[in-house]
Amino acid sequence: MFGKRIDFVGAVVFVAFMAALPLIFGGNYLIGVLTVSVIYGIWAVSWDFMSGLTGRENFGHSLFIGVGAYTAGFLNTKFGLNGWWSLPASMIVATVFALIIGVPTLRLRGPYFALAMLSGAVIMQRLMLIFWEQTGGEEGINGIEPLIRSQLGFYYFALATLVATTALLLALARSHWGLILRAIRGDEATCQAAGINVTYYKIASLVISAAFAGAGGALYAHYQLQVSPQLFAIVTSITIITMVYVGGMASIYGPVGGAILLLLLTELLRDFGEWRLMVYSCTLILILFFLPNGLIAPTWRRMKTLLAGPK
Amino acid sequence: MLEILIHGAVSSAIYAMLAVGFTLIFGVARVLNLAHGSFYALGAYGAYYFTSHFHMPLLPAALLAIGLVALFGVFVEKVLVRPMRRSQLAVLMITLAVALVVEQALFLTFGSEYRNVPEFVSRKFTIGGVDVGGQRLLALAVSVILIGLLWIFIQRTRLGSAILAVSQDPEAASYMGIPSDRIFSIVMALSAALAAAAGVLAGPFLTVQPTMWLLPIVKAFAIVIVGGLGSIPGSILAALMLGYAETIVGYTISTSWTEIVSVAATLLMLVFRPAGMFGKRAAF
Repeated sequence: MFGKRIDFVGAVVFVAFMAALPLIFGGNYLIGVLTVSVIYGIWAVSWDFMSGLTGRENFGHSLFIGVGAYTAGFLNTKFGLNGWWSLPASMIVATVFALIIGVPTLRLRGPYFALAMLSGAVIMQRLMLIFWEQTGGEEGINGIEPLIRSQLGFYYFALATLVATTALLLALARSHWGLILRAIRGDEATCQAAGINVTYYKIASLVISAAFAGAGGALYAHYQLQVSPQLFAIVTSITIITMVYVGGMASIYGPVGGAILLLLLTELLRDFGEWRLMVYSCTLILILFFLPNGLIAPTWRRMKTLLAGPK
Repeated sequence: MLEILIHGAVSSAIYAMLAVGFTLIFGVARVLNLAHGSFYALGAYGAYYFTSHFHMPLLPAALLAIGLVALFGVFVEKVLVRPMRRSQLAVLMITLAVALVVEQALFLTFGSEYRNVPEFVSRKFTIGGVDVGGQRLLALAVSVILIGLLWIFIQRTRLGSAILAVSQDPEAASYMGIPSDRIFSIVMALSAALAAAAGVLAGPFLTVQPTMWLLPIVKAFAIVIVGGLGSIPGSILAALMLGYAETIVGYTISTSWTEIVSVAATLLMLVFRPAGMFGKRAAF
C-alpha cells in the first residue's frame, strides 16, 4: 500500500517537474526539445509494453511510427481533414499494420518476429521513396497544420498524452492481462499447457503497442509539420530500444525516464553532431554488458525502499 | 530472355554468398547475426580503402580486406556475442548495435557519398548477343567456386565434420572432445569472410555507402526463411529463386518493385510453411 502511494507521489512530482520546466526556463528551444522527448517517451513506453513484457523484441517500431505520421500527413494535407482526426486514424492504420506483420510471425517461436519487423520497416522506407508521386519521396509531405497553435499548449497536450498512455499501459501491465504477458516471456510452452491462448495475447499486445506508437507518430507529424521517409529508419527504432534499456525493460514507467534523460543528454552532446548516433550505439552496447536491468527503474526501486525506511 | 538468365544468375550468386554465411552461423551457433550485412559493407570499403589510399594492387587489397573482416568477425563473436549467448534477444541486440557502430564509423570516416570499388575485370563480354560486365561474370564464377569449396570443406574434412557435429548437438559434440567455442569462432570467420568476399565482388557494380548493410541483411533474412533457417542447400536454392524472381520482376514490371518480392516471399512462407523448404526443425 505504502509502495503504491510513493509511486503515485513520485509520478505527480515528475509530471509537475516536467510541466514546470518550460515555465521556469522559458524559451522556445527548450519547449521544442521537451516536446520531442515527451513524444519519444510515448514511443518508448509503447515499445516496452509489447517487447518488454512478452520478451519479443520489435526491431521495427519505426514502422508503426512512420505509418502513423504518414496517415496524419495524408489526411491533413491531401484530404484536408482537421488535425484532430489524425490521432484516431493513425492508431487504426498502425493497428492494421500490426495485424499484417503480427499474425504470421507471432504464432511462431524463434526470431521471426524481430526480423520481420526489421524488414518491414526497411521496406516501408523504400516504398515511400518508390511511390514518390504519392508520398513526396525524399522530401516527404510538407505543410501539415499544427494541432495547437501555441507551442507551450502543444507541449502540455503531448505531456498529457504521455501521462495518459503511461497510466493506461501501466494499469494494463499490472493487471491479470500483464501477468499473462510476463508469463509468456518466462515460459511460453507452460502458458500454452495452462490453456492460455498465447498467440492471441502476443498479437493483442502488439496491436496496443502499435496503436500508441502510431498516435505518437501523428503527434510528431503535427509537431514537425512535415513527415519524411527518415521516420521509418532503423535508427529511430534503435534509439527507442536504447531508451527502454536505459529506463529498465518491462517497467513501463522506466522508459519514460530513459527517453527524457537520453534526449536531454543528446542535446548537451549537440556539439558532437555526427557522433550522436555513434554515442547511442555504444551506450546500448555498454548498457547490455554492464547494466542489463537498466538505470531508471532499479534506481527508483532502491529509492522506494530507502523512503519506506526500516521495517 | 538470355539477359534475365544471366543477370538473374549474378544476383543469385551474390545473394547465395550472403545467405550461406548467415545461415551457417545460425545453424552452428544459433546466432542470428544482424551484423552480417556490416561484414559485406566492410569488405567493399576495405577493398576501396586499400586500393585508393595505399595504392595496393586490387587482388592483395581484396584478400587483405577479406582477412581483416574475418578477424573482425571473430572479435565480434568472442568479445561481444559469446557473453550474451544465453539469450537470443541479447544476441540480436548486440549484433544490431555492432551493425550501427560500423555504419556510423564508415559514415564518419568516408562520408555518405558513394565510393567506387575498382573492378577486377573491366571489359565487357558478349554472350549470345547480350552484353555482360566482366566483373559480374567474375562474381558469379567466384561465388560458385567459394560455395563449392565451403561445401567440400564441411562434408569432407575433419574440421568440417566437427562443425556439422556441433550444429547437430553442441553438448554431445563437446562430450566427444570437440571444442565448440573454437568451432563457433571458425564458423564466424568463414561466414564473415564469405560476406566480405561478396562485398568485394559486388562493390564495383552496386552502391557502396555506409547504409549498404541494411538491404543485404533483409534479403539474407528472406532467403533464409524461404530456404529454412540453418540449411545451406535450402539457402542456395532460395537465393536462386529470389535472385531470378527479382530479375524477372525488374525486367517485366519495374526495378522499383523488386524490393517487394523478398517481403512477399517471406510473408507467404511464414504463413504457409514457417520451417522453410529445407528447415529441419519445425518453427512451432
